Amino acid sequence: MGQNAKQLRGELRELVNEHVPHDFLGAFTDNPADLEVAQRFCRLLADRGLLCMAWPEEFGGRGASVWQQTVVREEMWAHHEPRGAQYMGVNWVGPIIMRHGTPEQQRKHLPPIARGEVIWCQGFSEPEAGSDLASLRTAARRDGDGWRVSGQKIWTSYATMAQWCFLLARTSKVGEGATQKKQQGLTIFLVPMDDPAIQVRPIRAMLGPHHLNEVFFDDLLVTEADVLGPVDGGWSIVQDVMSFERVGIARYARCERLLHAAPTALGDAWDGLPAELRGRWARMLTHCRRARLLAYRVVSLQSSGRIQPGDAAAYRIAVTKLDQDSAEVLMEIIAAIPRDDAAARYFRAEVEDHWRYSQASTVASGSIEVQRMLLSRAMLAAS
Amino acid sequence: MILDLGDEAKEFGREALRAFDAAGGDELLQQAEAKPDTREALVGPVLAGLGAWELDVRADPDSLEAAAALCRSAGYWALPYPVAERLARPTDLDVDGLIVVADGAPEGTVVGLDNRWAAVTLDGSRSSVMRLSTTGPAFTAALELSAVDSNGAADVALALVLPCWVLLGMLDRAIELTVAHVRLRKQFGQPLSTFQGVQFQLTDAEVERSGLDILAKHALWSSGTADGLDDALALRLSAIEAAEVVFRVCHQLHGAVGFCDETTLSWLSRYSQPLRRLPLGLSATRDYLTSRLGGRALTGLFS
Repeated sequence: MGQNAKQLRGELRELVNEHVPHDFLGAFTDNPADLEVAQRFCRLLADRGLLCMAWPEEFGGRGASVWQQTVVREEMWAHHEPRGAQYMGVNWVGPIIMRHGTPEQQRKHLPPIARGEVIWCQGFSEPEAGSDLASLRTAARRDGDGWRVSGQKIWTSYATMAQWCFLLARTSKVGEGATQKKQQGLTIFLVPMDDPAIQVRPIRAMLGPHHLNEVFFDDLLVTEADVLGPVDGGWSIVQDVMSFERVGIARYARCERLLHAAPTALGDAWDGLPAELRGRWARMLTHCRRARLLAYRVVSLQSSGRIQPGDAAAYRIAVTKLDQDSAEVLMEIIAAIPRDDAAARYFRAEVEDHWRYSQASTVASGSIEVQRMLLSRAMLAAS
Repeated sequence: MILDLGDEAKEFGREALRAFDAAGGDELLQQAEAKPDTREALVGPVLAGLGAWELDVRADPDSLEAAAALCRSAGYWALPYPVAERLARPTDLDVDGLIVVADGAPEGTVVGLDNRWAAVTLDGSRSSVMRLSTTGPAFTAALELSAVDSNGAADVALALVLPCWVLLGMLDRAIELTVAHVRLRKQFGQPLSTFQGVQFQLTDAEVERSGLDILAKHALWSSGTADGLDDALALRLSAIEAAEVVFRVCHQLHGAVGFCDETTLSWLSRYSQPLRRLPLGLSATRDYLTSRLGGRALTGLFS
């Protein structure tokens, strides 16, 4: 990655060490102080030009390389994402608005993201539209110069804390006008979450608080200025979102950090672990390396515009399985740590958090089955 | 960031594929199995024609990449020749090739060849291969050794990495054959490739092959560094795991025809065995890597 990347990694680790509490497990806890940590940390990164460093200079970024951006993703995820939910704004909401937004939308939305002041949520999944996203039913109908939105979203991460929602809704029924397929007739709306016509209901879950919510839209009025991209043309924007999300979270980085820390956390107990378990640990290290290098290949192909859907899918399958497999190995390793070992308490908590969150990795942001469909389609088409 | 072999190496690999095809392709292995002592005559001139023995693998980075590409192409055709072992020869011994062996049970796939071989254990003890004793399938033979020195530690990494490139070429071919088979073969009135159960098995194989591809490059470039042996062992661990998954999937999707000698998969599968078991199989490779690491992780983001 080069010397710049190494320096950046060092700088980020120093900032985490100085400004993030040593028992931090992410912004999504029942303790409001954790969210405040993330808010402060985002502003700190923004002040130093590190939050949106890969954005073009005209939008408040530094035009940094994709490799520097990769370092940021790795370091943040490895250290329990001290940017909180704002990673989404930086990783894909902002870039999508740059690509598809009007100048007015760019002026309105990009500066708050670049300053680390705003949280977005993604209003895609619905009770009847998960992997089959295009089957969604939330509808926006014309009302004078604007639109009225009614429907329900689900699994909406960070909806309780978000100021804005990146909402996908149906604006034309299949069979109406030029809408022949269900992927047509969908439109993106940029919706303020403080509108009383929106209700958020948290769903308690093993992933922890804030990760899963239901969001209800009851005749929400949105203006024409809140439409992103063409009316009925939202599906192509969704594809763009997916392509940004393909390498969005550097899951392998947290796996690698925890696996790396395990022998130190266990101390003398490490040598007492069953040889077979230490063998599984070594195997996970090789899988971490494999996922990391596959991620780099996706980043490289993406930046050169040569990426094929199968390239990203193979990586996503490898990294999401790594997330879960490494979590199982780590859970078995920490079972050897006595509960009263205060020095290892944080490591235990990190691993338990990692295990709970990893359960969703093969479901979130495009299930592993969808990735398999994409990959097999590419394999069969290429022959 | 460099994530792929250079264009020249890749072109060399393609040239080798064409040359092996022109020399007989899949029939080379069938002929060599019938008469192992023809291996040199069947394959040697093709490799010489490609300039394989002029590659300065241990000193020149371009040669190193070319050697890797050549090994991959050899694997694709299950070339009946220990090309990786020949290319990995040490520079300070007057031998034709280097075989990494396990302590106590040295073996190599050298039946029918007259070359002068050196052997090296994972901890760097070098020997000369004096003669072959008991022979086994896939050109394997037990090796009778005569100790030379213990200066071979630096030789080991590359000698482990290049055979993994041969195995990678075998996985390339096995998947290619299987994709072609499931597109052609119909059951219940439709091609096997239309069944999701079949498609998902293919992806299991491809994730493994694709992961091995990227790890093989990493270990190749690291083979001359201080991390070389750790990285080579990590690669070998992944290569054996990948081979297990890929051949299991490919056999399953080929059905009974995949076991028949009229099917290339049958040959690839059985000739992959020495590459997967020698010098150490999956469990022993993992044990060796684990004990080498102790409480130290592989070099990575947090080293």
